[in-house]
Amino acid sequence: MVGWEYPPHNSGGLGVACEGMTQALAEQSTQIYFTLPYRFSQKLGHMKVITCQTTSEFLEAPPFHAYSQVLPCQRKLTSADLEDFSNLPQSEIEQRVNQYASQVLSQGQKLRNGYDLVHAHDWMSFPAAMKLQQKLHKPFIAHVHSTEFDRIPSGHGSHYIAHTEYMGLRQADKVIAVSHFTKKILMEKYFVDEKKIEVIHNGVSPVASLGEVPRFASRRPVIVFMGRLTAQKGAEYFLQLAKAVLRSIPDALFVVAGSGDQYHSLLFKNADQQLSASVLFTGFLRDHQKDVLLSRADVFVMPSLSEPFGLVALEAAQRGTPVIVSKNSGVREILKSAPEADFWDIEVMTNQIKSLLQDQNYRQQVIEGQNHDLENSTWGNAATQIKKVYDQVKKS
Amino acid sequence: MARICFYFQLHQPYRLRDYTVFDLGQKSSYFEEADTDLNRQIFRKVAHKSYLPMLGLLLELTKTHPEFVFSLSCSGIFLEQAQSYEPGVIALLQDLVETGQVELLAETYYHSLASLYSPAEFRSQVLQHERLVETLFGIKPSIFRNTELIYSNQIATLVTEMGYEAMLTEAVDRCLHGRSRTQVFSSSRPANLPLLLKHAQLSDDIAFRFSNKQWEEHPLTAEKYVHWVDSYWENDLLNLFMDFETFGEHQWSDTGIFDFFRHMVSKHLENKNSFVRPSDVIENLELYAELPIYDVPDPISWADIDRDLTAWRGNTLQDDSLRLIYSLEEKILSTQDEALITDWRRLQTSDHFYYMCVKWAADGDVHKYFSPYDSPFAAYNRFTTIVADLQDRLAEVKI
Repeated sequence: MVGWEYPPHNSGGLGVACEGMTQALAEQSTQIYFTLPYRFSQKLGHMKVITCQTTSEFLEAPPFHAYSQVLPCQRKLTSADLEDFSNLPQSEIEQRVNQYASQVLSQGQKLRNGYDLVHAHDWMSFPAAMKLQQKLHKPFIAHVHSTEFDRIPSGHGSHYIAHTEYMGLRQADKVIAVSHFTKKILMEKYFVDEKKIEVIHNGVSPVASLGEVPRFASRRPVIVFMGRLTAQKGAEYFLQLAKAVLRSIPDALFVVAGSGDQYHSLLFKNADQQLSASVLFTGFLRDHQKDVLLSRADVFVMPSLSEPFGLVALEAAQRGTPVIVSKNSGVREILKSAPEADFWDIEVMTNQIKSLLQDQNYRQQVIEGQNHDLENSTWGNAATQIKKVYDQVKKS
Repeated sequence: MARICFYFQLHQPYRLRDYTVFDLGQKSSYFEEADTDLNRQIFRKVAHKSYLPMLGLLLELTKTHPEFVFSLSCSGIFLEQAQSYEPGVIALLQDLVETGQVELLAETYYHSLASLYSPAEFRSQVLQHERLVETLFGIKPSIFRNTELIYSNQIATLVTEMGYEAMLTEAVDRCLHGRSRTQVFSSSRPANLPLLLKHAQLSDDIAFRFSNKQWEEHPLTAEKYVHWVDSYWENDLLNLFMDFETFGEHQWSDTGIFDFFRHMVSKHLENKNSFVRPSDVIENLELYAELPIYDVPDPISWADIDRDLTAWRGNTLQDDSLRLIYSLEEKILSTQDEALITDWRRLQTSDHFYYMCVKWAADGDVHKYFSPYDSPFAAYNRFTTIVADLQDRLAEVKI
């Protein structure tokens, strides 16, 4: 498996998905070699991690963050290790990805009899997978967690990245999309043959109880946004929504959790619209605080412009929080009971929030429905489907 | 041959605790107040570097030079913190006041911007300050200085109505129209309040440039400084207004700032020059009507290059925070809940809005030096989260 990041050095969903997926596959007797472009010192029981980097450097995190997350890392890292790729010159991104491809190839050659196929995650790993496919004739499965069209909704994303995605998807023997939403993008924007695409939804790992946690802001309804503060995630629409909801529910409290390139402009917009004590910004939250907020939320809103999957919505639902999901998301295919809306449709979302806060029967119905939706959303199920794809490519 | 009028400002805000959304409704304090807290640490550090040694030096100078007089202004929350964190500061201030050579000025208790937002709140805070000064020092100030020397025609009216005899502010070129800043001015009519205007150049030579090695006049000796002062006429009034922390904190002891001050005072007196307090100036005024008018329709201050209010307001983060805090006035006061009112007033301290300033250029460095936050955005987030809690407490009281 060709990866790019793995917890704890993940910028978001990709690393988390790789963790859940490989654990479940290992449980179903799959032997995995997992390559990373940085030194991974931790020992994992379920698979073998192979560091693939040039000998001159010793990175302890991905050379750049694939999804431009402003990532607070728990470990000591040199700043050069954590470059946001959008700040890197194009040539450097290409160089990094090509270096990784060469290293993966040389490791892959050494192990050539130890594996049957190559399973690669997103564009950063596609060049490596293509090399193994060409030189060693291993089947190549391209797993798409996110595309350049999602990340840069304006359509002015990186040509190099989009091209790498296109080439990888064209060369791949099989493509796994994390949602039907993504499958559609792959067909329409990347012209991938429908028959080549398999939709396999991510699972979600079961959550532990939070124990006794003081209930903050207990007097007010709390509505939460959590995600990177980039155009893709639609935080701007969340502010508009807050303004609209406050007209009828003046004591509603909105919380924006996350960081990103829109952070400062969102704060200015917030103050400019006189929302200062009604919409509060927490910055990036992780672990316990993240769970406490998702659990405390009376409503969770995900107004993404384009969301291939949207794990955080599932995490909120796992905590018994009703979720409003964007129609442009993969997660709505799983959370069928959750109210959905166009990310720009403030009126619809306002009414949904009002109903969820004021109509207890409706609220209960949504929560129960979501719980039911979550039942099949396991990594075990995802792994079973992935193994079917493995069998298909091995046969052909 | 000029008169020097010194005024030193003593102020420390109550800095906010690291308060997050998870604290909302948990009844946790907004301010650093525990035994090991930041406010105590900062206060004690500054006390040992500046307050104690400089107050000691001033006391010594009043003894050796009975003609040496000056003025001080202490915010109410400075005095409160001195009482709890470093009572020696209060004792020294009391000794100084007892010499009769020091004049204490009036100001808002919370070092707030209330003069710009609420006349009623402004008056309450000024009276609260007056009561504390009277309790601690047994005197009632007659001269007013507003937070950061903020001044406008309208504020002059407020201050006159409260019965103060004069006010201190900044000499700003756009209001002086070429007139000399070394004379006493009057506020615009009908207030006719005498105004003492800060001599920025001579003040900042001490307050900002003293230890700057890039400055062509560095090192500044007492002789050189007094020579500059001597170039003025006998009737010229040199208002040297500055932060008290200039001595020992902004300019560290090893820059020689204390020795400079000691010698400067002696030299100035040796040259048959005098020191005056603001009330001495007013006493010797003949006819108010003859004073030139200092017309200030838009508020000015002593801050930054522009001497305007952009250090505290003007960006939307600041403006909306200020709007919020003053929008609560009527409801907060009607609760008569002392704890709630005190928290609300402590949140009015100008420093909270200063930390939200996003001006870049040279002033940004000064702001950064004084701010406990990583960024103006962090200051805004913390402040607004606390206001959200204040609103909740207000809602609870009303039930």
